Amino acid sequence: MTAKNNKIPYNEDNYTHNINRNNERKLDRRGFMKTLVGAAGVFAVSSLPWGVLAAKELNGLGDKKYPKQKITDVKSLPIGDAVDFHFPGEHDSAILIRLSEEKYVAYQNACTHLRCPVFWKKDEGEMLCPCHHGKFDVETGAPTAGPPRRPLPEIYVKVENGTVYAVGVKRYEA
Amino acid sequence: MKRSYLPVALLLAVLMLNIIVTQYMVHQYFYQNYVNTIVAGIMNLVLFPLAFLIYKKGVNVHD
Repeated sequence: MTAKNNKIPYNEDNYTHNINRNNERKLDRRGFMKTLVGAAGVFAVSSLPWGVLAAKELNGLGDKKYPKQKITDVKSLPIGDAVDFHFPGEHDSAILIRLSEEKYVAYQNACTHLRCPVFWKKDEGEMLCPCHHGKFDVETGAPTAGPPRRPLPEIYVKVENGTVYAVGVKRYEA
Repeated sequence: MKRSYLPVALLLAVLMLNIIVTQYMVHQYFYQNYVNTIVAGIMNLVLFPLAFLIYKKGVNVHD
């Protein structure tokens, strides 16, 4: 009896204290190298989605394509005037403004604050949202006054044979 | 038994390269240089087998 208690765990039929935990958590050279290789693997796997996204951008899959749509005739739009249209869908109201002989700009005219329609104020040369007096720069669509903080989405326009077409929507950049 | 710590140093260098290349890749993506992004991604992919080879060569070296 005394001999057993002097030595814990004792040898005889020891089923409960037979686990040798010496050096169990020691990180040796080999284990450290394994960790480093694993880290390299994690880096390799984590770079896959970036490559996929970049390839997607290179192939132009990120840009949505819309069929080009006639907005108006050049003759019926004097310099400084604006015309409303819908692009790309029939519920996406937009505005085309003729700034000079050659320069046209078009934006989706839902105000980026609460989506009221934005109007072109010809005599003041700015775009105005009447709901809360938000103002937008006509050259870029950037907000200049009032509550809106984001620019109006720009629509690309093209003039062909005396007709103005809407050809695409600029991608949103935060 | 004398160990070689050269593979360990090489693996640490690989890990450093991994970090540099990954940050370069992410930045080039946001600068919209997508070709550079893909090149950096491939670099990262190549570095993993390289690390594995260094490990394989280094495990049994005791000199």
